[in-house]
Amino acid sequence: MKLDKMTDGKQPDSSQLKADTQAALVATHPCFSKEGHQYARIHLPVAPACNIQCNYCNRKFDCSNETRPGVVSKLLSPAMAARRFVKVKQHVPETKVVGIAGPGDPLANPKATIASLKAIAAADPDVHLCISTNGLALIEHLDKLLEVGVKHLTITINCIDAEIGKNIYPWVYFNQQRLRGRAAAQALIDQQLLGLEAAINAGMLVKVNTVLIPGINDHHIESLAIELGRYGAFIHNIMPLISDPAHGTYFGLMGQREPSSEMLGAAREKAGQSMQQMTHCQQCRADAVGKLGQDIDINSLENVEPALPPHIRVAVASKSNLLVDQHFGYATEFQHYLITENSIQAEANFSWQQYCGGDEQCNDDKANRDLNQLAHFDLLLCSRIGLAPRQELEDLGLQVDTHYALRDISDALRQIQQQMQSEQSNQHHLLVANAANAGCGGKECS
Amino acid sequence: MALSITQACIGCFACKEVCPKNAVTVAEQGFMIVEHRCDECRSNTNGPQCGQICPVETAITDNQGRALNPPGSLSGIPQKSHVIAMTK
Repeated sequence: MKLDKMTDGKQPDSSQLKADTQAALVATHPCFSKEGHQYARIHLPVAPACNIQCNYCNRKFDCSNETRPGVVSKLLSPAMAARRFVKVKQHVPETKVVGIAGPGDPLANPKATIASLKAIAAADPDVHLCISTNGLALIEHLDKLLEVGVKHLTITINCIDAEIGKNIYPWVYFNQQRLRGRAAAQALIDQQLLGLEAAINAGMLVKVNTVLIPGINDHHIESLAIELGRYGAFIHNIMPLISDPAHGTYFGLMGQREPSSEMLGAAREKAGQSMQQMTHCQQCRADAVGKLGQDIDINSLENVEPALPPHIRVAVASKSNLLVDQHFGYATEFQHYLITENSIQAEANFSWQQYCGGDEQCNDDKANRDLNQLAHFDLLLCSRIGLAPRQELEDLGLQVDTHYALRDISDALRQIQQQMQSEQSNQHHLLVANAANAGCGGKECS
Repeated sequence: MALSITQACIGCFACKEVCPKNAVTVAEQGFMIVEHRCDECRSNTNGPQCGQICPVETAITDNQGRALNPPGSLSGIPQKSHVIAMTK
């Protein structure tokens, strides 16, 4: 821990963020300010994987009439997430905040999270982007988050004492291994505090969530809040544990009790000595939409008036520059076209580091090649493509199409445009992203 | 030599995120490990990465069908076999 670097009682962030910019950041955010409730937020469920286990979470459970964090009905690919945002924004113009909160940990799914945030920022530069993380991988990804414009961050820190943490986190996946017991809690706490410090120094507005667990961390809340104050966290949100046995969580099954409202009030009062407290949290799901406490049923919007993509960005892998005749793995550049309802426009070729080395035996060092760079395309045309890159691209929201193999590029583009026009009139999406859906975050509850 | 994913899988993508061989794929039937890519992380002293991060017991097995994370190893929830019946 780097506490000695901090000066006592000082809030280092106040010098970093000008007061008025900070006020503007806070005022329109329903999760950072009570007054923000007139604005709406949307949580995009693009991040299913998690790198830790908490005893109050059961990832197996997903029932549509349940509302609690960590739970989600259906996963979205980044492209679908951007489309959902555009659609919701049309219906609920007060939507000012886009958050990624799981259902796992956003930073355990860095590719999907960053790709989604980028896509949202491109669709609406004014929207606030935020993520809610357990903090384990925050340091590693902080630069990327800043780069895409994330200014609001929530870190869930339940304790800063590993003796307490070992009763909250049965395991933590860190440095390529599953840690357990005290070592797990210590690794998590160390990373959380490093991340907290770095994020505050970078000028982010950081909210800290703490789950109040009677008999486990309730006696520790005051000292936790003092430390958070020293670090310069912006606001502290103490939430009551939810431990309904029906949810199948460890705490639920083991009979861990929930805090009474008096207990919660007392904890907030004590912590309030050193940290500004947030008291209006609704503990939303990872796919919540709308104003706090007035959630919108996304399915009712889905059928009303689908947002139509105004254009499609197409990447074409071609050897001959005439036909769609190159295997994705051997392409060193892609032709780049922008198709709208009325035009097909050629843009500068996109150069690319060849995906496959062409070794006799395909060894998978290419797994590291960053397909994210292609994420701004909507559609990829090539003659053939391997299963792994196809899937990864589809996860990024790219539709991959090999049906036009060995056909004329201009014919293919025209056909896509026609399809777009007819779909446009049918009020349907042209691109049906399908990959991320297959990973069922939405199993029926049993 | 390859690991497998069983029906216990909840489809959370965690193994796919950490597999160094990109061997985990999503098929129509669910998550699968592409056999010829998986080397069970032989060179990693921490062992198979999918097994290290998977949050569900019995979801990943070795080629003998043995679970990398057997029942009771992750959740800490007592198994029935460990419960001693009370005498009346």
